[in-house]
Formats: sequence, structure tokens, C-alpha cells
Amino acid sequence: MKLPWRNFPEQIRRLIVVWSFLIILPFFIRSLLIPADFGKYGHFRASAVEEAIAKEMKYAGHAICYDCHDEEVESKMVGVHKNVNCEVCHGPAAAHVEDDEIKPRAPRERDSCPLCHEYLSSRPTGFPQIISDSHEPMKACISCHDPHNPRGKEMAKECGGCHAEIASTKSLSKHVNIPCEKCHETPELHKLQPRLHLPGKPSKREFCGGCHDVEADSDIAIPRVELATHEEAYVCWQCHYPHLPEAE
Amino acid sequence: MEEIIQHLTPLLKEISGYIYPNEIELHWSLLVVIYPYLTGLVAGAFILASLVKVFNVEALRPVYRIALLTALAFMLVAPLSLLAHLGHPDRSFEIFLTPNVTSAMAMFGFVYLWYLMAVLFLEIWFDYRRDFIKWGQEGKGLKKWFYKFLSLFSKDVSPKALAFDDKAERVITILGIPSAFLLHGYVGFIFGSVKANPFWSSVLMPIVFLFSAIVSGIALVLLIYMIITPFRYKQIDEKCLDTLASFLFYAMIIDFSLEILDFIHRIYESEESIHILSQLVAGKLFFSLIIVQLIIGMIIPLATIAAVKAFNTPAELKRLLYFLSALLVQVGIFFTRWNVVIGGQLFSKSFRGLTAYKMTFLGIEGLLMSIGMLVLPFLILYVLFKLLPPWKDAPPAAEIPAEAT
Repeated sequence: MKLPWRNFPEQIRRLIVVWSFLIILPFFIRSLLIPADFGKYGHFRASAVEEAIAKEMKYAGHAICYDCHDEEVESKMVGVHKNVNCEVCHGPAAAHVEDDEIKPRAPRERDSCPLCHEYLSSRPTGFPQIISDSHEPMKACISCHDPHNPRGKEMAKECGGCHAEIASTKSLSKHVNIPCEKCHETPELHKLQPRLHLPGKPSKREFCGGCHDVEADSDIAIPRVELATHEEAYVCWQCHYPHLPEAE
Repeated sequence: MEEIIQHLTPLLKEISGYIYPNEIELHWSLLVVIYPYLTGLVAGAFILASLVKVFNVEALRPVYRIALLTALAFMLVAPLSLLAHLGHPDRSFEIFLTPNVTSAMAMFGFVYLWYLMAVLFLEIWFDYRRDFIKWGQEGKGLKKWFYKFLSLFSKDVSPKALAFDDKAERVITILGIPSAFLLHGYVGFIFGSVKANPFWSSVLMPIVFLFSAIVSGIALVLLIYMIITPFRYKQIDEKCLDTLASFLFYAMIIDFSLEILDFIHRIYESEESIHILSQLVAGKLFFSLIIVQLIIGMIIPLATIAAVKAFNTPAELKRLLYFLSALLVQVGIFFTRWNVVIGGQLFSKSFRGLTAYKMTFLGIEGLLMSIGMLVLPFLILYVLFKLLPPWKDAPPAAEIPAEAT
């Protein structure tokens, strides 16, 4: 019987031999290189899961911290850091859980907090951010802020703590000695949640008129206007910038 | 870290508007520009070769083998730019071992392999088989065995066997045309399917890539043919040159039309990205897109070739103009790739700002490396011309004079 192989042109027979080799060889190499358990669960080595499980545990998880550190946990749970787990700042603590002598890190310098709170334009609006070079550069963060329940600068002593630009403008103006609260009625909670509790501003002309009306009982050096006839359709601050009033 | 900061800090001054913090560094660099440029040359050169075999354009016969070897030389280098860009070339073979069928990039490895092994190698083998046998018989020593090995120790040069070679070549070329379309269309597909990037995301992308590939491939073969023929003390075949220029012209017309279509379509559609894209084109890309790609790389060569064809140009001047046009086309197509790859990363995904790209000179992603990637195919081509002289009038391999290439 004549084999069909003989019917192929000579060059095709040679190519078939070479190509069979070139096609079979990679499959052979593949069978040597691919781990036997590859693809059992998905596009990975099944034993990789066992290996991952066998790795030493470094993190303890936040729940276990509550067993001993009640005070810190209670303080944290009512503050804005309630979703920041303990080990985010204190580092992996599995070893500490096993052995009380091994202490987790306690960040007391200025190196940790700016990781989240350094100014970055892409952070969400309202997220507390500072420029650490100019924000109390010589002090550790925890000297003013309680990291377990931070509340801005502890009851910001002056409005300029946040409204620095307005404060420096006002420091040059005739109004320098008028406290901010005189014009801006400010809820106490504004210092904790500035966007939820906004301060007010004068809505009546009579408020400025209290000092500036010709009839007002105030210092003789204060500029006066005829409140009843002076641009009566507008509130004063629509034309005059009260933090740096231009009138002499 | 210090190095990265030093590299990126000067860029801050060139940023305009708002960009996301991670957009200051471009992740696809010059090497990713080189890659589609090289694969384009491969696909274009092959399509040119197919004109001879499939469409029987006999005038192009003198450049048939040159085109095939050019495609091979550039094909061998193209993936190097990706390997250099990605790093860890030692791991690259894993995409073949454990293929991820849902990744366009991973599957592209197989397209590449198919094109190299099943199309280019086979077509070159069938075309050279007779010469391999001849050179194997006439050569001496190592050379003799080298050619015998290349011919796979085949001996049959009967008319029937040669006719079979010819037929096989034709079949492979017919298979090769869609493969070449796939090869370069795929590169366009990878850009075109990045839906987050409005500069890339377009169904026209594969087809625009393909025709610009054909343009660049024809122009490259024209340049190589015009450079090496005088070195061989031969006359340039005027008919072949004219036909090359004609096909270059037709391919450029289609490429130009597609690019304009894409342009008009984007303007008419006026999606939300149009403002930032027009800022990009009118600003940072003005020189590379409008001046180089469009005017220098497209309109001037088109007008030049049209003028040469329309008027009775003296042969010397005609050759010079063809040569310059093909050179400008190469520059233009290189900048087409530049504008797609780099241009597509210069605007912020916020659509509100533009970032900048600073090329380095040294280093794995640097200019020097890229120049190396562009020179290497020519060195390989030189070796290929030495080993596999593509001219039918070539003397037996052993007697090729040193200056023959």
C-alpha cells in the first residue's frame, strides 16, 4: 500500500516535520513549566492559596484592640476617626496581641498624620488638610490634636486659625479691634463641623448703622452716613468690604 | 525617589489647568511610540510584497524580496521596544504559557507569533528555497551547511516542485494579507478600545493605523530600494519606482481621507472632551500634529508626488522628489504614532488641564535606546541582505562582492 505521505511534495514533507516539532515543543515545554495545580480554581496556582494562608499573620484586626484599650476605643468610636482602624497608625499588632511586651509603634512625631492630612488638591472638599511646613512646624500633631478623636485645633482659639487670610486683612483695617463674633453670629459647633454649622453675617443695614449712622451713639471719629437715604436698596457689605473698609 | 522627583519637578511649570496627581508622569513613553511605528512598517512592507504575488503587479517584482526581508527585519525588532518598556523580558514568555484569553494585549502575542512563523518565515522560505538549494550546492564549508540547513535539506528543484513553491507562496500571501491587517489593525484596536481616553477611543483607530502602516511600509521600501541600488552599481528600475510612488500616493489619499473623516466626525460629534482636545491640538500638539504630521508628512509629499505625476519631470529630479517625499512620509508617520501615544496622554482625564512629557536621553526609556531600536532593524536587514541576497540577478552567495549591499 502506498502511504499518502509519499504523495506530498518533498518540501511540504520537510516543513511538516519541522513544524510538528515547533508546535509540539512549546506544548512539551509548557507541560514542564506549568505547575500541576495551575487552573484548578482559576487563572492561578491552586497551591498559591495554601501558601498565602500559611504566611505569618502580622495584623491582628481592630476588634481585638477593644478587649484591653476601652478608653481609646470609646473615644475613637464617637469621632471622625471611627473608620480608621487602629493598625493604620499603630502598625501591625499581631505580635503585640501575643506578647504584651512587644509594643506596637505609637506615632508621636509629625511624620504620620500628614500622610492623610497634607494638602493635596485631589483630596475631597472639606477634608481637613494642612500645609505642614507652615502649620505649627515645630510642634508634634498630638500636642494639639487628640488622634483618637480629633476636633480640628482644639476649640480654635481664634478665627484666624482657619480664616488666616481674612484675619491678616482685618489686622490692617480700622475694624481690627472689633471681634469677629460681633458681626458673625457663630454657633459653637462651627469650630467642630464648620460646614454643617455656618456662621451668620449682618442682614440689615441698621447693623452697620449702629456705629455709622449720623444718629448713632458712637465714637466721634467714626465715619457717618445718612442711613435713610444712602443707597437704601443695598445691604452695606454689598458695596463696602467690612474686613478692610475703605472710608476714612 | 529623589531621581523621579528631580525628573518631574521641571514639568510642573508646563502643566496648565487642573490635572490629577498621577497624571504628571506619562506611563507610555517613547518606546511605546516606536512599537506601533515598527509594526506599521512590517505590515506595510508585507502588503507591498503581496501586491506582486496576489495582485500580479509585475512592475514591483524588483522590490518583492526587499519588502519581505524588510518586514522580517523590522518584525524581529518591534517587540524588543515593548520588552524594554515593560521590563522583565524574562517573564514575557509566560503570556504564551498561561494565555489570558480576555486580554487583547496578551492575545496579541499569538497574532504576532502567527504572523512571524506562519506568514513571514514560510513565505520567505518558499521564495528562497530554490536559492537555498543552489547556494548550498555551490557554497563551501560552513556556508554550504548553513544554506543546506536553511533549505531543510530539501533538494527537489524540478519544475513541478518550483511551481508548487509559487502556488504555496500565493496561498500564504493571501492568508498573509488579513494577517497583516490583523497585525497592525490590532495595534490600533488596543488604542481604540481604551474607552476612558477620548483621544484614542474610536472604531476608526484600527483602520487609520492600518492605512498609515501601508503608507509607511511602501515609503520605507522605496527608500531602501533607492539607497541600495546605486551601491550595487545597478540602475534603478524607473517603472518599479513609478509604481511604488503611485501606490504610495493611493495609500496616502486613503489614509488622509480617513484621518480627515475622523477629525470631522470628532468635531461634529463634539463630545464633552472636544474642548480639551482642541486645546491640545491647538497648543501642545500644534507643531507635531499640524505642522509635522499633516503638512510636512502628508500634504507636501502628496502634492509633490501629484506634481511629479502631472508634469513631465526629468528622471533625475523625479527620483530626488520621490526620495524626499518618502523621507517626509516617514517623518510624518513617526509623528502620527507620537501624536497618538504621547498626545493621548497629555490631557487630564478631568478634561480640565494639560500635562507635559519630558523625554530622557539615557536610561531604558530614553532617546538613545529608541534610536538604537530604530537603527537595529537596518543592521539586521544588512545581515539579511548579505545572507539572503534579494536580487534575482545576484551571483552565487559565495561570490558576492563586499560592497554588494
